[in-house]
Amino acid sequence: MFRHHPGLPWPRLHRHEQVACPFCDALQPAPRLREGEAALCGHCGEELYRNRPRSLSRCVGFSLAAIFFMVLAHAFPFLTMEAAGNRTRLGLWESARALYLDGAFLLSILTVLFTIVAPAVLACGLLYVCAPLMRGKALPGTVTISRWIQLSEPWSMLEVFLLGFIVSLLKLGHLAEIHFETGLWALSAVVFCLAAALGGIDRRELWDRIEVAKLSS
Amino acid sequence: MNPGVSKGSFAIDQGLASCSCCGKLSPQEVEHCPRCGKRLHLRKPQSLARTLSLLVAAIAFYIPAMALPVMIVDGVGTSSAGGSTGGSTIIGGVITFWKSGSYPVAIIIFTASVLIPILKIVSLCWLCLAATGRAAGSPHSHALAYHITELVGRWSMVDVFVVAILVCLVRLGNLMTITPGPAAISFATVVILTMLSAMSFDPRLLWDHQRRTA
Repeated sequence: MFRHHPGLPWPRLHRHEQVACPFCDALQPAPRLREGEAALCGHCGEELYRNRPRSLSRCVGFSLAAIFFMVLAHAFPFLTMEAAGNRTRLGLWESARALYLDGAFLLSILTVLFTIVAPAVLACGLLYVCAPLMRGKALPGTVTISRWIQLSEPWSMLEVFLLGFIVSLLKLGHLAEIHFETGLWALSAVVFCLAAALGGIDRRELWDRIEVAKLSS
Repeated sequence: MNPGVSKGSFAIDQGLASCSCCGKLSPQEVEHCPRCGKRLHLRKPQSLARTLSLLVAAIAFYIPAMALPVMIVDGVGTSSAGGSTGGSTIIGGVITFWKSGSYPVAIIIFTASVLIPILKIVSLCWLCLAATGRAAGSPHSHALAYHITELVGRWSMVDVFVVAILVCLVRLGNLMTITPGPAAISFATVVILTMLSAMSFDPRLLWDHQRRTA
């Protein structure tokens, strides 16, 4: 079942376009797809692009939710731990700060980049680019920000951080009394929403829409 | 086979470059992509040289990452907290966990910090050799190896985050502290270098080679 969003088809600048497969370079016509359909390379069989259903609204909704949960994840600690009369809180900034205080400057910078900066660029960038696109508009800097989104995508490692969190808990487990706090649930929600927002729209569709929006504005 | 693809019609033969950022096709004379402004190349520039040199650097950093302690535990050493008093290497941590019966943690750490980096390095070497015709394999198995390499690479970072979290959590007064060891930054470097290496590899070279020999 393909539900169609009549106001939001995938626009194209030219009627007949060609695409070169990014894996094998085979040149082939790029047909327009209905929502939910995918185009595969005729030479090597890799997926070329896919028209994701309700792409823009999904992207906007999930990136907005991701920003909301990101604020929560920064505002509240993930857990507090009590042992030997000391209380420790753990959050994204706290772990980076602990590394910094112990003299591991590079590591703390990397942690900030991978768990704070890259996810923030992704969520805010997607919202900034996609929300105006719903009305067919492109705000200034859209092209630069889209390139930044693509650049920071592989470096956003919140889900890896979450796995690291679970491993650390298993390591410490019986050593101390551990209380989970709001930040942890918020972080899990950020991971889910970011993945859904990024998977919500095909890169090619995003660029086609930006191209059309820039010409019409 | 798609009837739209005539045999031997490849973008490089027509002088068309597809943008590495937005995928738009442009004639190669155009220096920058008209849509996103990124520099255009028919193939990723010096793909094999870059991939291999980043790989060599990653292998060099992998040795201290394995040999040196990843975190240093001070204080009343309880062996359950990831090693005894003193340094604990990655492998040492895995062995401790295995012995104490925490098999899931041992398996996760072993996979993320030993298995994945080694498999990644081996698979990228294999792809580079295959692109120059020095290794066997069908293009489809190469494509699979490339996809898996790209997908799993970032998960190796888990060990670095574990150190970051433990350093933050374990400051139990004068009982015990954990400080990051020299292997932590080496290991993060290995992960970053292998990710960059996988990014600079151009899978189209595999098919280029196959077409030249066919």
